[in-house]
Amino acid sequence: MSHSTTEHAHHWETSWAPMILTMGLLFLVPLTFSAYFVYQNQLYATVFAGIGTPLVLIGIAKWVSEGLTQKPLLAGVSPSALPVFIISEVFIFLGLFSAYWTMRLSAGDHWPPAGTPEHFNLVLPVIMTIILVGSSLTFHVAEEKLEHGDLGGFRSWLLLTMILGLAFLGCTIYEYDHLIHAGFKPSTNAYSTAFFSITGFHASHVIVGLGIFISVLLPALAGKTNKYFTFCAGLYWHFVDVVWFFVASQVYYW
Amino acid sequence: MKGRLVALSIPGIVTPGVLWAAESAKKVVDPVENWNHLWNEVLIDLFIMGTVFSVLAIHWLIKYKATSPDQVGRGPKLTRAQSWAWAMVPAFIFMADDFFLAAKGWTVWNIYRNVPDNAYEIKVTGNMWYWQFEYPNGVTTTYSYDTKEGDGLMVPVGTPVVLRMTSNDVIHSFGLPAYRVKEDVMPGRVTYIWFNPLEEKQTWVTCVEFCGVLHSQMYAPVKAVPRAKFDEWLQKKKSTT
Amino acid sequence: MSTESHGFNLREWIFTTDHKRIGVLYLIGSIAAFSVAGIQALMIRIEQSSLGPTLVHDVATGGNQYNVWLYFHGAAMILGFLIPGLTGFAANYFLPLMIGAKDVAFPRVNAFSVWLFYAGIVMALLTFVVGDPPDVMWTGYPPYSVLTSGNTAFYVFTVHLLGFASILGAVNFLVTVIYMRAPGMGWNQLNMFVWSTVTAFVIQLVFVPVLASAVTMLLFDKYLGTHFFDPANGGDVLLYQNLFWFYSHPAVYVILLPALGILYEVVATSAKNMIFNYKAAVYGGMWGIVLISGEVWIHHLYIAGMPNWIRIGMMVSTLLISVPVGLLTISLFGTLFRGAITYTIQMKYAAACLFLFLIGGLTGIPLAMTVMTTHLSETSFVHAHFHYIMGIFSTFAVFAAVYYWFPKMTGKLAGEKLGNLGFWFNFIGVNVTFMPLFIIGVQGMPRRYWNYEMFPQFEPFHKVALLGAILVAIGMGMTILNWVISAISGEKSPANPWKSASLEWTDCANPPGPGNFTKDVVIKPEWTPYNYV
Ligand code: HEA
Ligand code: HEA
Ligand code: CUA
Ligand SMILES: [Cu+2]
Repeated sequence: MSHSTTEHAHHWETSWAPMILTMGLLFLVPLTFSAYFVYQNQLYATVFAGIGTPLVLIGIAKWVSEGLTQKPLLAGVSPSALPVFIISEVFIFLGLFSAYWTMRLSAGDHWPPAGTPEHFNLVLPVIMTIILVGSSLTFHVAEEKLEHGDLGGFRSWLLLTMILGLAFLGCTIYEYDHLIHAGFKPSTNAYSTAFFSITGFHASHVIVGLGIFISVLLPALAGKTNKYFTFCAGLYWHFVDVVWFFVASQVYYW
Repeated sequence: MKGRLVALSIPGIVTPGVLWAAESAKKVVDPVENWNHLWNEVLIDLFIMGTVFSVLAIHWLIKYKATSPDQVGRGPKLTRAQSWAWAMVPAFIFMADDFFLAAKGWTVWNIYRNVPDNAYEIKVTGNMWYWQFEYPNGVTTTYSYDTKEGDGLMVPVGTPVVLRMTSNDVIHSFGLPAYRVKEDVMPGRVTYIWFNPLEEKQTWVTCVEFCGVLHSQMYAPVKAVPRAKFDEWLQKKKSTT
Repeated sequence: MSTESHGFNLREWIFTTDHKRIGVLYLIGSIAAFSVAGIQALMIRIEQSSLGPTLVHDVATGGNQYNVWLYFHGAAMILGFLIPGLTGFAANYFLPLMIGAKDVAFPRVNAFSVWLFYAGIVMALLTFVVGDPPDVMWTGYPPYSVLTSGNTAFYVFTVHLLGFASILGAVNFLVTVIYMRAPGMGWNQLNMFVWSTVTAFVIQLVFVPVLASAVTMLLFDKYLGTHFFDPANGGDVLLYQNLFWFYSHPAVYVILLPALGILYEVVATSAKNMIFNYKAAVYGGMWGIVLISGEVWIHHLYIAGMPNWIRIGMMVSTLLISVPVGLLTISLFGTLFRGAITYTIQMKYAAACLFLFLIGGLTGIPLAMTVMTTHLSETSFVHAHFHYIMGIFSTFAVFAAVYYWFPKMTGKLAGEKLGNLGFWFNFIGVNVTFMPLFIIGVQGMPRRYWNYEMFPQFEPFHKVALLGAILVAIGMGMTILNWVISAISGEKSPANPWKSASLEWTDCANPPGPGNFTKDVVIKPEWTPYNYV
């Protein structure tokens, strides 16, 4: 309701970024997955991933650069749009959790099911929690710096945030590696099913979050920032952080 | 007005319990008859609803045809009170109807779920893609769509039959249209249905949950035969295996 | 002043971020999905027209072919035609025009949505290319979908892509309606169509993700060996069905609501009348549906052995849906009262819809009653129910939309002769097709059965249904042909051919140029889109 510009567009707006990104995603996710897992054809899988990855990267790069340079129709709505999107993310997690709850509650006393390692490492999740909460704080500092026009400070704190995010992923990889060596794979039992799906899905959000941070950082290195974009990146990261509390408390300590 | 309609819907919730108590006191319960009876009532209910709306619509569609291209509608502008009334009154009428149908339906549902004490128990197993029936004395039967051979499900006339059902692979569903019953058959769970074969006749069970290539070949005859014949058949089966 | 574009420019179309052009892309894609799925429907009808194998090779393998047709038919009609046709095409093109906005809040995200939709259509069409096509029906129940040798992954990815497109669309349009209404436009001045899509998008936003998580688990179970749905290893067989219907019941209102919204526009404009009891319809009817739609999914699991406590609760809540839907019905029918009706093609479709809606909606009532469903579930009675309300009612609503807004989109008038002829073929055809299915459904004709040799008495009914389907196919062919011909060589339309009072007709060109409005729209407090006096 706040838009009242008197100038009117005289040409059709176009952008090839969304279409290229979609094509990339089509190759990278469904087709590569199908080639690899359904048809066990590694050659095709490689080819599809090889086509998809650059398309995705080009699409995102183009999209981000347009977002930072072109004037939007209506500035400043993305901070309201992202929470709306997060509502739907919450429901995806709820779907996964409800699967976990059903399996868990119907198992009664037979939990954890046979095949689960006797001594689950319960210290690591604490460390991971500290890392992730820390990264939310460092990002907050980064935003503060940006607000005060301190671009250099912003970049450093953002970089620190990303390093913490990577450390978190490192912990996940370490943990997965350990568990799989101990014979605890996604296919082992109901607990491993839920464990790997939920933590893996959360980790995929961390990866997406880091991807968004890269798209913030690279232009920032060239001096280009956008406070709404940064705000949304941060909001997403905080959301991923909050979800982790549920993941950790439900999956490790319940 | 509001209060009275709410009050009206309360007996709608209480009566089914009473009705059901009275119902179960009777001797022979025939779920099919109950179902058919309810079905007729529901059809009449829906028919009335549908007719009221259709007749109004047809009437207005004809009556309010524009007579000149510039004519505009003169629909009533509702006052606040009218607009509340037009929301609340129909809402309560619809709600009353809903509770009426729910209560009626639940009464019959209770018949469907409460297996008579004297019911004859047969175990049913669903497989891709055939049914297997196991009788109390260990006899098992099947049916092949291909050769059209096998006894299928044999039941004695006059005795309620309860089926305890499970599946060896995917979800199937045991559908017995002639007896108005149907329930899914699942791996890892046991479900049940019961029905009352009151006369001698042959009908069909069909698998009604999609289960793959031969889903529509997963059927078998259900033969209701007199008790004596049934016992004789069962004995013979037992001795030949 | 004029913002007319100069000729056809392919690049500008493919890479467009303009909501109108994206709307047209949605329309083309969804009509394509409809045509292919409709042809599968014809194969299904021909197959069932005789007892034994008709089109399929033989009894032992025929099921495979039939199941793939039926899979594609169901999935493409719902996910590829109706949802994108209503929330993609109609909402995209007309919602911003109706609220006086220049575009949606995030035009690039909008373009992203439409291409995700096309990617989903590509995934669905791959069904006809690979040797082991998906054969899991649009419902995809495990354990069958996990055990089958068919390609369940394509089913999952089709759902993912189309679902992601829907979620992004929902975010985009909700933000658009909240922030981009023309200055002065209050909530009670919105078009019924705008309200209906807002409520539909709220449903999409909340429920699609749950479907996405359900099919993802399916994918993991089949290809990564997890045990979500495997009872032998601690999983739950019915979990998928619960999650699936948690989305897919509300999804029927994602179809119903915009379809009703379109009819409101068509009826109000054709009868030159104001909406009867607007507030009751919006706040009681539409929001009422949103409120209840998430608490009724068990009515699809009545025969799956659910416990009584949840069964009775959801039976009552399912029946109670008739209250908000009933309010919408009263308001829609009431809009005819003291109107001045002109019978254009779109109004004929709308009038037909009123009856199709009653038949389809009221036959949902016995299905909602647990005990009735123990007999009716999984029979062609269910088919007839949902083809009436979805396959015909909602499809006719899309057709009404195309006819109603045809001059807006093309600047031309749609041909009357072929259009009317197509309408009568369609209207008679659908009734001839689906009425027999009610009758044999009550007598126990099972669903998803190409072979019904145990019930030879149903054969004549299937023959009649085939006749109907042929009539429909002719009618649909005429309709689509009519649009193509008229778009190319139709007669030029006046600026506001139906004399509507709504913004998309009063304030922009046919078709609107970039930026939609030539001067800023400001809404006066007494304005409504249905003010004909
Ligand atoms: C657009 C799609 C659409 C819509 C709007 C509806 C609307 C309704 N549906 Fe339907 N339904 C489907 C699409 C739809 N359905 C599909 C696709 C399936 C099958 C899925 C599959 O298995 O593949 C299905 C299956 C289905 C089942 C499961 C059957 C089974 O498999 O066993 C049930 C059971 O309750 C049901 C009930 C209802 C009800 C109560 C409504 C109500 O919303 C209807 C409300 C409308 C009215 C009631 C009429 C107007 C109101 C009045 C005139 C007021 C007065 C009326 C009264 C007081 C009664 N539907
Ligand atoms: C929007 C939803 C929708 C629509 C519109 C339709 C439309 C039709 N449906 Fe379908 N149907 C479903 C949704 C829909 N259906 C669903 C969800 C199922 C359940 C699937 C399952 O069980 O999993 C189903 C199942 C289903 C069955 C059940 C089969 C079985 O269980 O064994 C049958 C059988 O008759 C059927 C028939 C038809 C027919 C004859 C039409 C006709 O109305 C179709 C008419 C259209 C055409 C004939 C196409 C016209 C186009 C052309 C001729 C092309 C012209 C081309 C150019 C000009 C380029 N449908
Ligand atoms: Cu077994 Cu269908
Ligand atoms: Cu439903």
